[in-house]
Amino acid sequence: MNRLLALVIIFLFFLVPVVGAEEFLQAPVIPGGKVINKTDDRLEVHYNLSHKEVIEFYREALKDTKDIKFRERKDETYIEDDGRLPWHSITFPKKCPDGIVVTIVKDNWTWILGTLFLRFIGVFVVLLILYLAMVTSGAITTMLLARPVKKSPPIGR
Amino acid sequence: MTMNEILDMLYGILHTTGFLNMSWKMPVMWSIGCLFLYLAITKNFEPLLLLPIGFGIFLVNFPLVPLMGWSHDQPHLLEAFYHYGLEWEIIPCVIFLGLGAMTDFGPLIANPKTLLVGAGAQLGVFVTFTGTILAGFTLKEAASVGIIGGADGPTTIYLTQHLAPQLLGANALAAYSYMAMVPLIQPPIVKWLTNSKERTIRMKQLRQVSRTEKILYPLITASVIALLVPSVMPLMGMFMLGNLMKESGAVARLTETAQGALMNVVTIFLGVSVGATMTGDKFLSWKPLLIFSLGLLDFAVCTIGGVLTVKIMNLFLKEKINPLIGSAGVSAVPMAARVSQMMGQKYDKGNFLLMHAMGPNLAGVIGSAAAAGMFIAMFD
Repeated sequence: MNRLLALVIIFLFFLVPVVGAEEFLQAPVIPGGKVINKTDDRLEVHYNLSHKEVIEFYREALKDTKDIKFRERKDETYIEDDGRLPWHSITFPKKCPDGIVVTIVKDNWTWILGTLFLRFIGVFVVLLILYLAMVTSGAITTMLLARPVKKSPPIGR
Repeated sequence: MTMNEILDMLYGILHTTGFLNMSWKMPVMWSIGCLFLYLAITKNFEPLLLLPIGFGIFLVNFPLVPLMGWSHDQPHLLEAFYHYGLEWEIIPCVIFLGLGAMTDFGPLIANPKTLLVGAGAQLGVFVTFTGTILAGFTLKEAASVGIIGGADGPTTIYLTQHLAPQLLGANALAAYSYMAMVPLIQPPIVKWLTNSKERTIRMKQLRQVSRTEKILYPLITASVIALLVPSVMPLMGMFMLGNLMKESGAVARLTETAQGALMNVVTIFLGVSVGATMTGDKFLSWKPLLIFSLGLLDFAVCTIGGVLTVKIMNLFLKEKINPLIGSAGVSAVPMAARVSQMMGQKYDKGNFLLMHAMGPNLAGVIGSAAAAGMFIAMFD
């Protein structure tokens, strides 16, 4: 009987991400947390869970969603949607002694335009560095290859 | 044998032919294939690519042909070219090897500041990205459509295969079609952005570049790109290897093969397998149509970006650059440089801009590869 109960609990635990999870902008939200901040484009929820439990929840909940990236940064896990979902990112810290705060942010043009602008500047930076490298190497090569002009001996006496 | 048995047999034979499996999309795709064949054969628009692409489109849009697909875990003929050549991202890199072996970087080395024009001409890539998202594409698809404006076929194919392989056929076709149409697209835009005084600027003759500099160039470029945008090193590494082979003069046989036979072989495989991805089911939708419209916008904005970059640079330079060479920053080697030369001569018969335009033209190749690298880094 106990074994059966345990199986049912395990089944329900894995079922929660699929059918029981709440949503914010179609992003799955772990049930049972305390909402700290909620606006139209941002949700912050506090949980008494570990980082491992939160990441397992999201891995399970988003396993069938296309164009999702799990990025492990130094202090936080950053889940990014590169598809057409209304949310852009889900972020939660790695160290969380007093519980964990999960932040869900709406897809936004500021991010898109910001990243595009930076990457366009990035192309300039790449070619500018190449330019500097070419100018420097050109100068060094010219200097090394420059041969002293031989003075022709004076004609006659 | 009864009449029914004979009819059954005939019916069975009929089922193995294409007639009963036709759909309306197929004749539409035949016409599209034939249009590209016409452009390649009659109009001489990028014939080396549009001919195999057109024929690839034509071939795969017949029912039951075992060309694109798998049977018993074995790829069909064109599927094998596509799988091993494009999905494995080999063909674009080998094409870059050949291009490197054909390219003389002398004009760029002699006037390295034109590198910045190649960067400015990537403006359209990023502007179109935004427009593409507004049109309902995903971020990855938007990046792959945006790179069309870089006017670099292999880079477009490489990035599209990496980020949005479902758009490969449409993106490659748009890129090569617009590259062929550079002489039609660019002149009105350049004319609109420049005045007659700017168009007649004569530039100082480029200095001679030593063999040592030419040998060092691929090493320097490979190092800079490898450090800053490592994700495009498969392309740029091959490009620089081809160029080093050429400039060293030590491996004449390899250079000859890379720029001749090898290049021709992979061009056939590239063209036919790109064409083969364009079955009616995939191609006849709103997306390819939008890609063609956005691609045109992309080319236009990239041209504007190149010309404006030259105009901005001229504010700070003592020796002015003719803004007509700005449009060559969109890559499309050497077609865009030829357009600059042609326009320069139109306004001043004694003005020879070809070699000057080759600098931004080659910078455009590096710039579009750098832009592709930025996008790959964004999503990987």
